[in-house]
Amino acid sequence: MIERCLGPHRCRRIQRALRHLKVTVLCLVLTVVVLRGTIGAGKFGTPEQDLDEIRQHFQPSRKRAEPHRVLEEIQTGGDSDSSSAASGAGGSNNYETFEINKIFVDEGEEEKPDPNKPYTLGPKISDWDEQRSDWLAKNPTFPNFIGPNKPRVLLVTGSAPKPCENPVGDHYLLKSIKNKIDYCRLHGIEIFYNMALLDAEMAGFWAKLPLIRKLLLSHPEVEFLWWMDSDAMFTDMAFELPWERYKEYNLVMHGWNEMVYDEKNWIGLNTGSFLLRNNQWALDLLDTWAPMGPKGKIREEAGKVLTRELKGRPVFEADDQSAMVYLLATQRDTWGNKVYLENGYYLHGYWGILVDRYEEMIENYHPGLGDHRWPLVTHFVGCKPCGKFGDYPVERCLKQMDRAFNFGDNQILQIYGFTHKSLASRKVKRVRNETSNPLEMKDELGLLHPAFKAVKLQTNQV
Amino acid sequence: MVQDALRTSGSGGGLPKTAVSNGGGRGRGLLLRGWQVQNTSMNIKIMILCGFVTILVLLGTVSFGNLGSSNADDAVNQNLIKETKPILAKSPSASVPNDLDLEEPPKAEVNPNVTYTLGPRITNWDSQRKVWLNQNPGFPSIVNGKARILLLTGSPPGPCDKPIGDYYLLKSVKNKIDYCRIHGIEIVYNMAHLDEELSGYWTKLPMIRRLMLSHPEVEWIWWMDSDALFTDILFEIPLSRYEKHNLVIHGYPDLLFNQKSWVALNTGVFLLRNCQWSLDLLDAWAPMGPKGPIRDEAGKVLTAYLKGRPAFEADDQSALIYLLISQKEKWMDKVYVENQYYLHGFWEGLVDKYEEMMEKYHPGLGDERWPFVTHFVGCKPCGSYADYAEERCFKGMERAFNFADNQVLELYGFSHRGLLSPKVKRIRNETVSPLEYVDKFDIRRTHAEAKP
Repeated sequence: MIERCLGPHRCRRIQRALRHLKVTVLCLVLTVVVLRGTIGAGKFGTPEQDLDEIRQHFQPSRKRAEPHRVLEEIQTGGDSDSSSAASGAGGSNNYETFEINKIFVDEGEEEKPDPNKPYTLGPKISDWDEQRSDWLAKNPTFPNFIGPNKPRVLLVTGSAPKPCENPVGDHYLLKSIKNKIDYCRLHGIEIFYNMALLDAEMAGFWAKLPLIRKLLLSHPEVEFLWWMDSDAMFTDMAFELPWERYKEYNLVMHGWNEMVYDEKNWIGLNTGSFLLRNNQWALDLLDTWAPMGPKGKIREEAGKVLTRELKGRPVFEADDQSAMVYLLATQRDTWGNKVYLENGYYLHGYWGILVDRYEEMIENYHPGLGDHRWPLVTHFVGCKPCGKFGDYPVERCLKQMDRAFNFGDNQILQIYGFTHKSLASRKVKRVRNETSNPLEMKDELGLLHPAFKAVKLQTNQV
Repeated sequence: MVQDALRTSGSGGGLPKTAVSNGGGRGRGLLLRGWQVQNTSMNIKIMILCGFVTILVLLGTVSFGNLGSSNADDAVNQNLIKETKPILAKSPSASVPNDLDLEEPPKAEVNPNVTYTLGPRITNWDSQRKVWLNQNPGFPSIVNGKARILLLTGSPPGPCDKPIGDYYLLKSVKNKIDYCRIHGIEIVYNMAHLDEELSGYWTKLPMIRRLMLSHPEVEWIWWMDSDALFTDILFEIPLSRYEKHNLVIHGYPDLLFNQKSWVALNTGVFLLRNCQWSLDLLDAWAPMGPKGPIRDEAGKVLTAYLKGRPAFEADDQSALIYLLISQKEKWMDKVYVENQYYLHGFWEGLVDKYEEMMEKYHPGLGDERWPFVTHFVGCKPCGSYADYAEERCFKGMERAFNFADNQVLELYGFSHRGLLSPKVKRIRNETVSPLEYVDKFDIRRTHAEAKP
């Protein structure tokens, strides 16, 4: 009939067009269905949800009701004292749905700094050396040297007060502190793990400054304060720092003289792992270092200055490391003679060039070297495992952090006759059998009762 | 076909037009039929293709094969199982959850006919140790007048089931670092399963033995669960009280011997002297531990013997209680059941009272007025399911942590802005003579005498 109306050619064309349209529509529908099945279509749901709804519609939730009844009977009839707590609180026992940030409650007001006063870490102290030596003389049971060449060291590290944004971040912080606990136990070093923000103005990388000052002033018995980032791990458990070398110095950082003083390179030194002696010089340095820190306009402006003055620095707010480079490069005469830029061993070791070589190191070298052959510290700069965004792919960072941790942990476990099954494995295997004469067994690295840990006569040295 | 038809008509030569038209008409008919057949075949092809694609899509999304139970249903079942297990299985202090055996197939289980041992039997440990101490004066067992203590704690090697668990493990270890720094105690944080057989709560046994034998200079090994927090930073363990004892554990003798209760003692926090007696105790304690049929069978024995114990596999606490009751004469004279201070303090009755304590009392008491240790039994922050409401657990842990942290921060002039706040506030202004406050507030210089 249509043929007779329109003529054969046009009719055929229309038919063809119709066929094409049919195919197009069909393909479109198929695409939508497949997409909905794979990535879901928001509020329109997925086929699985459809099936659920259908099933739920036809099968009333008998299944779920019965076990719950059983549980309730047990709870009400039981002799446990948890039942009252559980039913009273009314909350679920499932951590799946729990939001930790709901429970934090901050009482009182935030401290508001006076905008007219320039920032200071605290009232200026000018006689700290005298105060400290007086105190040490009055307190001989708290000497600042615990051995002839061994100063009392406090290792300071820390992390933010709240849980990490990255779900596995806290697990890596935990492994990192365990790693530090192990090294410090072997070397007779005390640890302070900070989780408090002492000064809201100096938040972020600057938070260490008020903390360091507070600790220096509260612990006069401490000779050296060793700041270490939470993303740095010990990978040479046998290496003891060469304290003798630093007798005349007050600040020890990993870095290169040429890169700092000549090139003004912003990564000429690293403030992720450094030693600071407890004396007046250090307090003065902190006071000179701090002014670029206060968050907001000051830090932004300072950042611009630093980017302009230092080589290779990207544009971002002022950080403590760049500020230190700038400080040393511009005031070398004041500070330079008491600063030791160490590069004979990895007081800070950039992870990128180290982590792939661990197996090679195990084959060719041994712990106790501390340098490129067996790094003292592997520092995961830029990985930011606690935050959401790092400078490197997350998987590489986390995998390598596991390897570095195991590399260090193996040196501890071998003391007790164990080792990790591989650098990637959390499991351990025995490498030395139990014996009925355990004291005759000597561990290869001599870390069980190392010389640097032996108790010696305690003397005061200023 | 059409061509043939035309050719035949063409080759026909001077056929009349009718013949041509006839051939053409027949050709057209054939033509039409050809078109129709092609059409139909194409329709059929499209239909088959569509049918195929639909089936593929359905297979992918709905799992055609098992319409009986979908993924969601499985998830619900799993949740139910998870719910019932802990309520039925009220374990006291499972701080170390089940081992993670994901990388390798499970090893063959221990032959139940062969008694499990922690290691080759040692019989002269006391004399071995004495000789070693004489030969190594640089590692004495008494330092600054106090016996050398090693605090042992730990957690599983992998991340917790929920990230919040790792956060609290981190705070818990900071709390222990603070206490131990102030009191000169070394810490060993264990994250390795030394013995696959003794997994879960039993992991501590091989580790304790290993540390004792490797560190003869250590006089006491102090085990502490990861869910136990120090809440009295000033209090020190009155070691002089335990000179004649080798095991110090919190509990109640009445519950132990008269009622045979499975919570008569708490093995979440205890001290064990480094001596032959302890090695013998560990050897006697371990046999109920090996996982599998041994642990299950032992669990049944313990449930039958101890009052109030639910049915679940053998745990170290019940096993120790059983051991001490059934072999009372052999062991009890060297065991000090301590309850004058909270060597272990059950959290539920304590966490709400911190403000009252701060108002009325002071650190250094260690007992119900200012508990030495607050132990979050049953909260299992590292697992995914607790025996108690999680809000109550976490609020309690946060409060206990801050309660303790305030005592540490006092030296530095700071305090938390409330027991639920991670933020701190200044409570003392900076000064140019900080040492007067050091003299006043440094805990190491103001040790309180423990209650006799």
